[in-house]
Amino acid sequence: MSHVYSDGTPYRYAALTDVNLEISEGKMTAIIGATGSGKSTLVQHLNALLLPNEGTVYILDRTITAGEDPKHLKSLRGSVGLVFQFPEYQLFEETVLKDVAFGPKNFGFSPEECEQKAKAALALTGIDPSYYERSPLELSGGQKRRVAIAGILAMDPSVLVLDEPTAGLDPAGTAEMMKLFHHLNHDLHKTVLIVTHDMEQVYAYCDDVVVMENGKARLHAAAREFFRDGATCTKMGILPPAIIHMKDLLKEKGFTVDDSVSTVEEMAACIAAQVKRRG
Amino acid sequence: MEVKHLNFSYDGAVKAADDVSFSVEQGSYTTIVGHNGSGKSTLAKLISGLLEKESGSITISGLELCEQNIRKIRSLIGIVFQNPDNQFIGSSVSDDIAFGLENHCVPQPEMDGIIAEYAGKVKMLDYLASEPTHLSGGQKQRVAIAGVLAMHPAILIFDEATSMLDPQGKDEIKKVIRGLHQESGLTILSITHDIDEVSASDYVIAMNDGRIALEGTPQEFFRDAERLKRIKLDIPFSLKMEDALAKKGIRFKERCLSTEGLVDALCRYDSNM
Amino acid sequence: MDPRAKIMAMLIMLVAIFFPSGWTGYAVIFCCVAGVILLAKLSFGFIWKAMRPMLFMLLFLLIVNMAVVNTGTVLFSIGTWHIYSDAIFQTLYIAVRLLLMIMITTVLTATTKPLDMTLGIEDLLKPFEKIHVPAHEIAMLISIALRFIPDLIEETQRIMKAQESRGVDLKEGKMKERIMAILSLIVPLFVSAFQRAEDLANAMEARGYAPGEKRTRYKVLKMTGRDWMLLAGASLVLIAMIWLAYGR
Repeated sequence: MSHVYSDGTPYRYAALTDVNLEISEGKMTAIIGATGSGKSTLVQHLNALLLPNEGTVYILDRTITAGEDPKHLKSLRGSVGLVFQFPEYQLFEETVLKDVAFGPKNFGFSPEECEQKAKAALALTGIDPSYYERSPLELSGGQKRRVAIAGILAMDPSVLVLDEPTAGLDPAGTAEMMKLFHHLNHDLHKTVLIVTHDMEQVYAYCDDVVVMENGKARLHAAAREFFRDGATCTKMGILPPAIIHMKDLLKEKGFTVDDSVSTVEEMAACIAAQVKRRG
Repeated sequence: MEVKHLNFSYDGAVKAADDVSFSVEQGSYTTIVGHNGSGKSTLAKLISGLLEKESGSITISGLELCEQNIRKIRSLIGIVFQNPDNQFIGSSVSDDIAFGLENHCVPQPEMDGIIAEYAGKVKMLDYLASEPTHLSGGQKQRVAIAGVLAMHPAILIFDEATSMLDPQGKDEIKKVIRGLHQESGLTILSITHDIDEVSASDYVIAMNDGRIALEGTPQEFFRDAERLKRIKLDIPFSLKMEDALAKKGIRFKERCLSTEGLVDALCRYDSNM
Repeated sequence: MDPRAKIMAMLIMLVAIFFPSGWTGYAVIFCCVAGVILLAKLSFGFIWKAMRPMLFMLLFLLIVNMAVVNTGTVLFSIGTWHIYSDAIFQTLYIAVRLLLMIMITTVLTATTKPLDMTLGIEDLLKPFEKIHVPAHEIAMLISIALRFIPDLIEETQRIMKAQESRGVDLKEGKMKERIMAILSLIVPLFVSAFQRAEDLANAMEARGYAPGEKRTRYKVLKMTGRDWMLLAGASLVLIAMIWLAYGR
């Protein structure tokens, strides 16, 4: 599929050109690439916020073809939850609970059901019940973000798309957030797509990687393959995760590091043996 | 800069600064770290008088901050804030750099020369007529740096200036800051999350619950990984690796603050040491 | 061209229109303004677009006048209701003035960048600082507002998309739902605007801004020969209108 902004005007901009992708259900897929490579445009097609100019988008049980005028897009929006960057800016209701219940309300659930869903979502994101009646605007930045994400989770989407969910968070906040997404994917079997710049996250949590470049999908591979060594990353202009960088350096200096080594402890064990032998 | 017994709380409730004292030596590159909510974010505003301290003293280049000399103090400090958009005042790059000059009553005929000089220092000379909507986050932050540099501050403060940038932008800005420090010997105070920046700085101060929890040179600072975890700080990968190696009986004399350093140390490792 | 000259010329011309100089006078003004439009290479279609919203009002005015005006010759009658020529003339009179006003102001806004206009306004208001008109502050307000318009538009679109992702439908739905939809747009926009304002104020103060204090200005405006000619021309037109109205 392709997507062109402002077609027919002097501001025409081809954000996506001839993209062919198949994203697996139930997996955690990372979408990476430089700013302007088309990542945000791509993910906005998944809940039909944007429609393709050419080609077709098949999402869940829906088919969206270029040129057609699709009906009932709202139902799709409930099944594909899209969380934008800095989502705390979408909070507006009087209380935290009301804001999180806003999503389900728009899909016609009864007030009791909405409250139930909201509470479940807030529990998932770790917001204490003592905050339910507070104004969302009073909370700290990190808490606001969790409330915003809860607002999308309350619609119980089967697909969750996150645009740079950890941008601006401190390391502790980032770790908590990634654990949540892992839980949603691994334990609750949601398909998760993360647009991110953080290779450490991708390495630690994601199954697949899609690399976008200049509006095209350059590469779609399993994370293990993509991070086998630093070469694939660097070729795409991406900084490899620290552990891969270290693997490469060690190999250069004559050490042997098995491909399966993926944690700090495994690496230490592998190196220690070799160093002791050398010494 | 000398900060002594600084106290400040929001609405009299949450203490953002609790008896904070530290000093920044001229020409040094000091980093301040801490989890979100540790109080580090209020420091820049307290130092420049944007927030009124409850008690304590702040002295810059021998001048102590008080209500009467706030303007003079602000002319000694150049702050670059976190949000690239919300500190870009002018409608073009040259207009924005000119803003500070206008405030300091720099004579109009001299302005073009100064703007070109400082735009050149941050490599934005080709973009003088560009509007902010056409610039990337990194470019806007570079313009912000040029704007504060043009006022010849005694100390440059970066308040999480790279937090909202993409990796490319972060890299750009870190390079500019390092360059300014190395070439011009400017005093830098950087409030940051970036662990690599911390490793490369001269002195590190960690905040937790409004207090200074730990400080020292990077070598001293990263000595105890457990302490860092307790104040919710991240440690560099090379140190995580070092600690894991130590458990396997491999110990080094000095803390390795970079992956390259660690690999070199491994190559030189003599198990008899 | 110097925006001050353009603004002053526009004001002079607007004043000129209101002298009862008769059809000759209006013809003169029309020719002058049309000449300027041609010189500035603007299209008349532009003017027509600006005029269109007025047509409805003018039609309404015509009907009112036809009912109310009793002077002049009778043009035709419908039963006991007589329509007088003056009704048409008075409406035409107002229509022509409106057209000229629109032409003049459109020429100004189409040939002057908003920022240049702001500089011009600041300089023109400066003499009034003596009677406590905050010329600089007004200009600063306008230029910052202009600077952030694209950002605000982008922000609005982002918020709209975020809320649409939560099931908000801005086009359909019952009244109550539509109100919630608009609220979900406005509240975040306001919150973000206030945050922006606070950040901006901090940045401005940190860079030494103190409203009310002395400061120099980067952009200077210089009057050239063309600017003086424009002013002279406008003044001549004004004098001519006064003569046509009262001198003859």
